[in-house]
Formats: sequence, structure tokens, C-alpha cells
Amino acid sequence: MNKPLVISPKERIGEIPEKIFLFRSCTGSMEYPGTESAVKEVLKKLGVEVIMDADQTCCSGYILTCSGFPPEPALAVTARNLALVEQRYGLDTYMFCNGCFGYNTELAHILNHNPEYKKMSNQLISQWGYEYKNETRIIHVQELYYLLIDKIKELVIHPLNGLRVASHYGCHYLSQLYGVLDDGDLPTFHEEIYEALGGVPVFFKERRMCCGASVGRGFTHRESVVQPHLARKLDSAKEEGVELMTTVCPGCNVALDREQKNLMDRGFGPYNIPVIDLAQLIGLCIGVPVEKLGFNANTIPVDDILNRLGFGKGE
Amino acid sequence: MPRERDKDWRDNLYGEIDKYNLVENLENCLQCGKCTGNCPVAAITPSYNPRFVISEILTGNTARLLESEEIWRCFWCANCYRVCPVDIHFPLLMMQLRFMALENNYGLKYVKPINKYGFRAFDKGLTFVPGERGVQKINRLRTSIGVEEWPEVSEKAIAEYRAIFEQTGAIEWMEKLEEMVEKDVNFSLERGGVTNE
Repeated sequence: MNKPLVISPKERIGEIPEKIFLFRSCTGSMEYPGTESAVKEVLKKLGVEVIMDADQTCCSGYILTCSGFPPEPALAVTARNLALVEQRYGLDTYMFCNGCFGYNTELAHILNHNPEYKKMSNQLISQWGYEYKNETRIIHVQELYYLLIDKIKELVIHPLNGLRVASHYGCHYLSQLYGVLDDGDLPTFHEEIYEALGGVPVFFKERRMCCGASVGRGFTHRESVVQPHLARKLDSAKEEGVELMTTVCPGCNVALDREQKNLMDRGFGPYNIPVIDLAQLIGLCIGVPVEKLGFNANTIPVDDILNRLGFGKGE
Repeated sequence: MPRERDKDWRDNLYGEIDKYNLVENLENCLQCGKCTGNCPVAAITPSYNPRFVISEILTGNTARLLESEEIWRCFWCANCYRVCPVDIHFPLLMMQLRFMALENNYGLKYVKPINKYGFRAFDKGLTFVPGERGVQKINRLRTSIGVEEWPEVSEKAIAEYRAIFEQTGAIEWMEKLEEMVEKDVNFSLERGGVTNE
């Protein structure tokens, strides 16, 4: 309880990095491949070199929190992935999924504060020559966008022209408690980015509510808890006239985008709020070709928004 | 409704639940209820109450907790942890509580559906790999934006990932879970109190 809750991006990241290691997100590369591609293209435009490695595996946090296996494999997998980054590249590990960010941060914290777990994990992964030393920092790419907000503003060539955009921050970033960029109750740094892009930030009542997918979409109490909860969130967004919602987590994106159709089938709604990743929105504004942003993966079509911004069909 | 018996209560329930030593400060709980006030699940299901769960763990009411439907409602959004004045990591407590329920054959119906994704993760090194048609859709989507057809996960990565599953006993654990049979639950905590199903 003696560490600061909210810190500036400068304190968090330090100097603007030339090179980062980007952690592959399973959902980001399968459900919405445009997310991964957008993050890479945006960072390229911002002058940051991105490195990925095919030897990295899933972070294994989601199945752990769904009680799909005990903590030991998840701890060892975390140690292995982070050790790989430390040994091969000596870089910080950047996540573009709140899930990967939250689970890696949490599991790394457990490893670093429980010598026995670290010993167990390091013993296991030593057979392939890895050793986790806690040298790489775990950072979310949204923190880097915020650090580079002035540069993003300079690069904007397709401004949003007053589009009403709302943010879904996602719980597993802001719930980290210490050393995050903004206060969990009323965060505003995404809204500052929208303003830099020429959009109008919309604050709706339930903006900080969880997407419901962190554990349980379709697994536990989908009908009795998850869907009514999501409907409440989307109703509140609709009431405030949100035209587009962004996420920084492909998992939240799945819940908010894919579930709108299921909710309407159950009599909620109607909803028509396209949900895209923050990187896709920044990419759109700073001139990343639309076809590289992969909007065709979305259930709620983004085409209307693209037409309004003068991009034609989003294929 | 069955009566509660002495043997439903255990003095050291907290210690038994927190067997991984991840929530060492539970006894600091002030019972202030900020967790419940910030809980999106409690907002629509008043019978789910994180403060009550903590109180039940500390007083040691085993049966009421493990057999309860309520412990499976948590989304793991961690907002309870974010607002806790004494930094109790409730999600990690919930995770261990669920493991204990599983060991006692409760809640299997909520975990078994995820098992197939666990086995697919073991195969591919990625979580939430869909079935064959889903995979084809992913291939089409990825090709359309000019990236490789499938996320690049190397043979080496998959082999090491699988070895971790095997050597930590995770695969054994997952196979055992497949065979376990759900025990009937005697009561649930619907509508804020103990009621008969």
C-alpha cells in the first residue's frame, strides 16, 4: 500500500523505446486478426520496431481462471515466455490484450514473491535452457500510445470529424491497482487520445463495467448473469448516443461485439454499436491502409462508420 | 432443507482454501463491503456477495460455500481487488475456492465445457482454438489482411508447452476432471438467503 496508484506514462515507460517485444494474443490473432496487424502497423508509423517470436505460446491465464487446470502450468508457462524475451532480446514485453497483460503481471508477481514457485518454474524450464530473472517489464501497448499522443496527433490525416466514440478500458488493466496510467473509477486517457484524433469522447454511465467475458461468457451463468449485465452496459451506451466503442483487449471485443447479436436474439436491444480495437482506430486516422485493419472480422459491421469517414467499404 | 451439521464447519477452512498461499491477508478484512458495492455481478444478482463469501471462509462454513452456486457467478473482473482498502486479492481466493469445490465434485458443469479448449491449447499452444470450420474462417480472415494463414506458433513452442502440461500434472488433472461426476447440490443462496431448490 506504499506505492503510487496512478503514474504518468513517462514514469511508467521512461524513454520512448526503439524496439519492443510484442506478445501474441490468442484471441487477438484468431478472432480479430486485424487487431494484431493494426498494433504492428500503428507502431511502425510511430517509429517503434516490433519483434514477435514464434516460440512464444499462449499466456495460459484464461483457462486457469476458468479453473481449467491448476496454477502450476500457468506459472511455468509465464516463466518460460518471459525468460524467452529476456534471454533472446533483452526488451520489455508489450501486450495488446488486457488478458495477457493481467495474467502475466499477476503470475509474474506470484513468481517474484514466492521463491518456491520461481524455483519450481525455473527448474522445469531449465531443461530447455531458460531462466526467468524478472528483467523484462510487462507493459500494455495502450500506455505507449498515450506516451506518444503528441506524435499521433501530428500524424492524423483522416480525423474523426466529431464521431462520438466511447471507451471500454477493460478491467484487467485498471484493476492492477498500482502503477497504472489512470484511476480505475474515472479513467480518461483513452478519451484524450480520441480528442487527439478529432473525435468526441462520450462518457456513459456504465462505461467502467466489465465486459463479462473475463471468465464465463458461455461457461458460467451466461443467461442469468452475463447477458443481462452486458445488456445493461450496452443500453447505457446507446442512451448516450455512442457511435463507436473501442477496446484494448480482444477478449472484451469478443464479448461486446459478438454478443450484441445474441442479446438481440433474446429480446434485448436493438443494438448497433461497432466495437473495434483502439489500435484499429488510431491506424484508421494515421493512414494505415483500411484492408490491413481487418474490420471484416467484426459481427456488428463497421462499414457505416468507414463510409462516414470517407473510406468506402471496409473490405 | 437439510440442517447444517457440526462437520460442515471447519476451523481451518481459510488455510485449506488458500493452499497456494496467494491470499495471505484475508484476516485483515474489515467487512466494509466495498467489494460488493463495486461488484457487477452483485449488482444484478444480490445473492452473490463477496463480503459474505469472505466472512463464510473465515468462520469456516464449508458446505455452504462449496456447494453454493454463487461461487461460480464471479466474472473475475477484479474490481473488488481494485477497491479493497486492505488489498485482499479476492479473485485469487475465488480461484482457489473453486478448485476446492471441484475437488469435492461440485461445479463440474461449469468447468467441463472449458476442458475441450484446454486440450486444444495443449495441442496448438493457443487458447480458444475453434473447431474445423472456425479454423477455416480464421484462415480466410488472416489471408484477407495479408498475414500468415495461422498465428505463428513454432513446433518448439508447442512441444515445450505440452511438456509443461505433462510435467506439472495438468494433463492428468484435466483427464481426471473429465471423469468426475457432479454431486447434487442441497441448497443455493438465491435471493440473498439460503433457500431450497
